[in-house]
Amino acid sequence: MRNHPIRLLIALTLAVIFAFPIWFMVSSAFKAEAEIQAIPMHLLPWDFQGLAQFRLAADIGPIWIYFANSWLYAITHVVITVFFGALAGFGFAKYRFPGRSLLFLAVLSTIMVPFQVLVVPLFIEMKALGWENSYAGLLVPGMMNAFGVFMMRQYAADLPDELLEAARIDGAAEFRIFLQIALPLLLPALASLAIIVFIWAWGAFLWPLVIVQDKALNVLSVGLASYTQPYLGQPMWGAAMAASTIATIPIAVLFVFFQRYFVKGLTAAAVKG
Amino acid sequence: MRYKWWGLAFVLPAVGFFAAFNLFPMLFGLYLSFTDYDLLNPPIWVGLDNFFNLWDDRLFRQALGNTLVFVAGATLPVWVLSLLAALVFDQAFRARDWLKAAFFLPVLPPIAVIAVLWRVLLHPNGVITSLTGGWWGITEIRWLADTALAPFSMIAVHDWAMIPFFMMIWLAGLAAIPPEFREAAAIDGAGPVRSFWHVDLPQLRSTAVLVAALSSIGAFQTFALQYVLPNDAGGPANSTMVLALLVLKYGFQYFRMGDAAAISVVMFGMILCVTLGQLWFNRRA
Repeated sequence: MRNHPIRLLIALTLAVIFAFPIWFMVSSAFKAEAEIQAIPMHLLPWDFQGLAQFRLAADIGPIWIYFANSWLYAITHVVITVFFGALAGFGFAKYRFPGRSLLFLAVLSTIMVPFQVLVVPLFIEMKALGWENSYAGLLVPGMMNAFGVFMMRQYAADLPDELLEAARIDGAAEFRIFLQIALPLLLPALASLAIIVFIWAWGAFLWPLVIVQDKALNVLSVGLASYTQPYLGQPMWGAAMAASTIATIPIAVLFVFFQRYFVKGLTAAAVKG
Repeated sequence: MRYKWWGLAFVLPAVGFFAAFNLFPMLFGLYLSFTDYDLLNPPIWVGLDNFFNLWDDRLFRQALGNTLVFVAGATLPVWVLSLLAALVFDQAFRARDWLKAAFFLPVLPPIAVIAVLWRVLLHPNGVITSLTGGWWGITEIRWLADTALAPFSMIAVHDWAMIPFFMMIWLAGLAAIPPEFREAAAIDGAGPVRSFWHVDLPQLRSTAVLVAALSSIGAFQTFALQYVLPNDAGGPANSTMVLALLVLKYGFQYFRMGDAAAISVVMFGMILCVTLGQLWFNRRA
């Protein structure tokens, strides 16, 4: 059964069916508009457009601003979640203090509440703070993810206590123990967490859609939706596929270069979250 | 233990953050669901009226029904097909890693990209029409504009994106089974089907529950596909209107914050049931 041709055939069929739409997206980004819906489909562009569709995408909407906003959104989420998640996870795992279980339970309970449930009250809260339609409102509410605390607590619990004790005897301050002993040992877990949070933040759609009205504050996911509308009376599928390709590249790069962390991180997020 | 307070200092930034941006809105949302609130006038306490009104609200019932159909379509087929895919890719064969990577590609694009991409693919006279109806000489299929077809198009797109992801979860579960188990089954003369049924499947119990729970929880929250894929969000004729979309419509289009919050509470209740069901299943094992 191991090298049975049927297994190879099924695998090949699955791979072709599931990869085909992605192939369509990338190849269409280099096709002329009329060629995109050609029947039968052209697997490769016959009339290769170079980067013309990407330039058109930039003419239709401020795609590089969207792109920059998406990076800003993703990076703040990654940095804040990884650093404060590790700090809190270390605190929960390695210290006994009054209210510890209760506080951890409170953090854990936020994982169980889907964002769709928070969107209305959170929007009203942002309005009250005057953060509506601003970078503060866009970036702050989601930039710390409870999953980070949860995951880091599990990894920090495995750190050897003797090592921390030895540093204490040497007179190291607690924060320095975290920075110089715990963080370096947690590095592989931090990398997995960073990749998960980046993927989540890069794909975020609902909150950026709700909180921002200014085009200049849109992230790529939200900006993309505007490419499905006709531009000057003409559908712009080529530009839409070019913009979609741009929005996929950062995740694809992560996948290619950090495949092990990528799969490990996503699996850990699913299993433990 | 003078350093025990440091622990509190370390967790406080995170706890404070979650209190402000998760726990407070959670409770505030629950409160709002018992009020009428239009953002302009102060909220008026109406007790359970919003929930009773939802029950009489035809659009809510339709959204609830659509959501349940979507959850069913996003759970059972995904569960079966992702398991089958995992069984195909679990064992080493020629070119496996390349084929697996190709199969995994739908996991990469953000959900908004998936929606935009499939809007192009599902053009009435487009590529998917020619690859399916084309064999029978059909040149136009209104995948997204037909009220009977549109909900199933949503499910198909969603399943395409989720099956490779859940295959990965199954693979992690399969990898955790000690190879001696299968070897022992093979020595006892069990074929691949019986070996899977009696050796692998009992070991995959918690993975099986996890895949069912995660896929249904994700499907209850579905939103982006129904927002971007049809010409008008939730359309045509509300045939793809789902609960999360209705929250947005009532909240940000009609400014009926109380009703929107009540729908959110209903959504949360249903997701909580799935989570509790998952815990119950795992405890029984």
